[in-house]
Amino acid sequence: MSSKLQKDRLDSIGSKARLPRSVQAVYLRPLRRQAVYGLPVCDLQLRSYSVRNVEFFADFAVRAAYYLKLPVSGPIPLPRMVERWTVPRSNFVHKKSQENFERVTLRRLIQIKDGNPQVVQAWLAFLRKNAFYGVGMKANVWEHESLDVVENMDKSLPEVEKTLEPYLSQFGQRKDTKFHPSIPGILDSERFIAYKGPLTTVRGG
Amino acid sequence: MSQFRLKKLDLGGFVNTRILRDHTKRRTFEQFEPERQALRYTIRNTSLPQRVRAQAQLQLANMHSNTRSTQIKNRCVEGGTARSVIRAFRLGRYQFRMQALAGELPGVRKASW
Repeated sequence: MSSKLQKDRLDSIGSKARLPRSVQAVYLRPLRRQAVYGLPVCDLQLRSYSVRNVEFFADFAVRAAYYLKLPVSGPIPLPRMVERWTVPRSNFVHKKSQENFERVTLRRLIQIKDGNPQVVQAWLAFLRKNAFYGVGMKANVWEHESLDVVENMDKSLPEVEKTLEPYLSQFGQRKDTKFHPSIPGILDSERFIAYKGPLTTVRGG
Repeated sequence: MSQFRLKKLDLGGFVNTRILRDHTKRRTFEQFEPERQALRYTIRNTSLPQRVRAQAQLQLANMHSNTRSTQIKNRCVEGGTARSVIRAFRLGRYQFRMQALAGELPGVRKASW
C-alpha cells in the first residue's frame, strides 16, 4: 500500500511540483535590475567567431549580473569586424587563380550601471573563472571618486610606499658596470661647468 | 653577425638558416635597444654640449647594423618564407591557405560575397 503511494507521489512530481525558481529562470528571459542613476561603471566587450558562443556567454553574463544585483544594459550587438585575405591558390606564380578567406569577429557589449566597484570586480572574476571556449573578453572599468581625491591620496601614501618598497630597493647601479663610477665628479668637472648650453640660462644652471 | 649568435639553438618549431638569422637580429635589436635610445636621446637633446652630442652621433653610427630594427623581417613560422607573410597568423600565403582549408585557423573560412 505504502509503496503504491510512493509510486503515485513520484509520478505526480512531473505534473504537480515545479522546478526551483532559479532553474525555471534559465528557461525564461534573463531578469534585470533597474538602474537608479544610470552611471556607467563597466563596459564588457565579448568577442567571438561564433554567434552561438557569444550569445550564450552574453546571456550568462547578464544572468550573473542579476544575481550580483548589478543593473545591466545589453547585450548590445556591436558592428562585426570582417577581415579578408586573398591568396593565390598555388604556391608559385599563377596569380590569376586566387582564393578568398575571411574571419568575422562578432562583438557584444554589456554595460554595468552604477555598481559597486568591488562587486563589479567580483562579477568580472566570476566571468573569467567560468570563461567559455572561443569567447574573448575585454573590460573597461571606471571608478568614481569623491571631490576630495587629493586628500585621500595623501592619506593612502604611506601604504603605497610600503608596497613599493621591495621594488624600489631593487634599483641601483650594477657593481660590474663599465661606466665611470664617479659620474657626479665628471659632471662637476670644469669642462662641463664652463660650457654654456643653449638652455643653461633658461634653467638657471 | 656571428658574434651575436647563440652557441645553442634557442628556437623551437620550423628552423632554417634564414629564420635563425632573423631571430638573431631580433634578439640583438632587443639587447641593444636601450643603448640606441640613450644615444638618440643624447643626440637630440639640445641642452647638452655639442661635443657630447657629436660623440653620441658617431657612436650610434658605429653600432652594428644588426642592432637596428629595420633589419628585422617577418618570416613565415612554418616555412620561413619572407614574402607575403600574413601578419595576423605569421604565415606565408601558401601555408596560410593550407591551414585555413584544414580548419586550423580559428574563425577563418572561405569567403564569398
